[in-house]
Amino acid sequence: MLSRRTKIILATLVVASLTFVILDLRGGDGPFSSARAAVSSVLGGVQRGAATVFSPVTGFSEWWGTQVDQSGQIRTLTDDNALLSTQLVEAENDIARANELDALLRVASVGRYRVVPAEVIAVGPAQDFSWTVTIDAGTLDGVEEDMTVINGDGLVGRVLKVYNSTATVVLLVDPESSVGGRVAGSQEIGIVSGTGRQNSLQFQLLDPLGEVNAGDAIVTFGSKGGRPFAPGLPIGEVVDVSGTAGALARVATVSPYADVSQLSVVGVVVRPPREDPRDSVLPSAPAVAPTRAPVAPQTTDPTPDATSKPEVVQEDEKAATPAPAEPGN
Amino acid sequence: MIYRQGIVIGTCIFIAVVVELSLLSRLGIPGATPDLVVVTVVAIALAMGPLQGASAGFAAGVLIDLSPPSDTLVGVNAIIYLVIGFIAGYWVDPRDRTLIIIMGITSLSTGGAAFATAAVDTLLGGSRVNWAEVPWITLSAALYGLLLTPIVVPFVGWLVKKVTPEMSFS
Repeated sequence: MLSRRTKIILATLVVASLTFVILDLRGGDGPFSSARAAVSSVLGGVQRGAATVFSPVTGFSEWWGTQVDQSGQIRTLTDDNALLSTQLVEAENDIARANELDALLRVASVGRYRVVPAEVIAVGPAQDFSWTVTIDAGTLDGVEEDMTVINGDGLVGRVLKVYNSTATVVLLVDPESSVGGRVAGSQEIGIVSGTGRQNSLQFQLLDPLGEVNAGDAIVTFGSKGGRPFAPGLPIGEVVDVSGTAGALARVATVSPYADVSQLSVVGVVVRPPREDPRDSVLPSAPAVAPTRAPVAPQTTDPTPDATSKPEVVQEDEKAATPAPAEPGN
Repeated sequence: MIYRQGIVIGTCIFIAVVVELSLLSRLGIPGATPDLVVVTVVAIALAMGPLQGASAGFAAGVLIDLSPPSDTLVGVNAIIYLVIGFIAGYWVDPRDRTLIIIMGITSLSTGGAAFATAAVDTLLGGSRVNWAEVPWITLSAALYGLLLTPIVVPFVGWLVKKVTPEMSFS
């Protein structure tokens, strides 16, 4: 049987855990923000080291995951693969990372976002049902709460908590995450919310009569002052629309451009662009010529408020709709 | 004696948390993340006893609740892991300890931990848990717990015997 001492210790531990839960349930900053900061300053360094040590393994799984998930990319990947397989595993990993950084820089420069690059060093376990990751940039790098996080493919999430040299990012697929979205090339706006599944988001149109079709691209609408979300960032592509026009709730399923299960290099938008980049950042943007033209007159409008846009819309829509057709590159 | 036990528990838990958050959760494995922390808690409970198992569970739960990128309530995992550590140490007869039984216990524990996290989070008013995913997460967590057992449990048992030879529990 258990001794008296054992029972006392067990009771103490149970009471302590329950107290923690109750204290933390009260919300707000709570008594745990300093404890979290302390643990993060210790674990942040260890996780950074561990991420470096494990990078060949996680890099391999990233490569493998892309291979399995995205059959549409198989051809480009096979080419890449032939090139990469001639080199060492370490070198493969470095090249993949450099490519991601290049893509990130492209998004940042087309949209004129100022970004701080960072690397994902830890991911929350799936059984917590929260989609959060730790990145290795913090207040020392100029990162603040509620900043937008992107990668080479598009929007990734926003900064939830920030510590000295690390920050916690809540991903856009987290069930508690919601982002203002706009259908590229039109003025239809709505709310994009996470579903807890890595490859689907829900887009709810604010205007029940609004036009949205499978294949449309969704970009961020932008928040006041660019926080928590900078305007014009690609979110994903509409794959399915449920409900008919005029129905009370029109919900579209959106497949995010960024593969949140395989994140490595991300960028924190420390300063959003002065003008809404409209649809210029969408994935087929290398064909800049057709999309640029209609964008130019638009950018004179300093407010990211899409609802007050004038009649230029129609032209814009015609010119820009071909743009999201091929997000596959 | 108690210090050496504390050091063994602390080191195992710390390594398990770092490896789980920095390596296992980034592998992109389908379903749940392989729950190395729970398997380690069970291994400690089997090697040392219910009190040490419960303490290890409490410490591991608090650490994983506080360490980034966790955004869950502090104390939820602590109480779940505490109960698991205690049960694993208390109810398992040392004479029954064949590898098959141990694998059954760890997989029940990892599956149970995943399910309990979902249940407690929902009870406390969280809106994150998608119950359609819970059975799959629970089953995959149990499966991964099963697979981690033959590596983790013998290693922790060996470490405990080596560092604290006075523990006659196993």
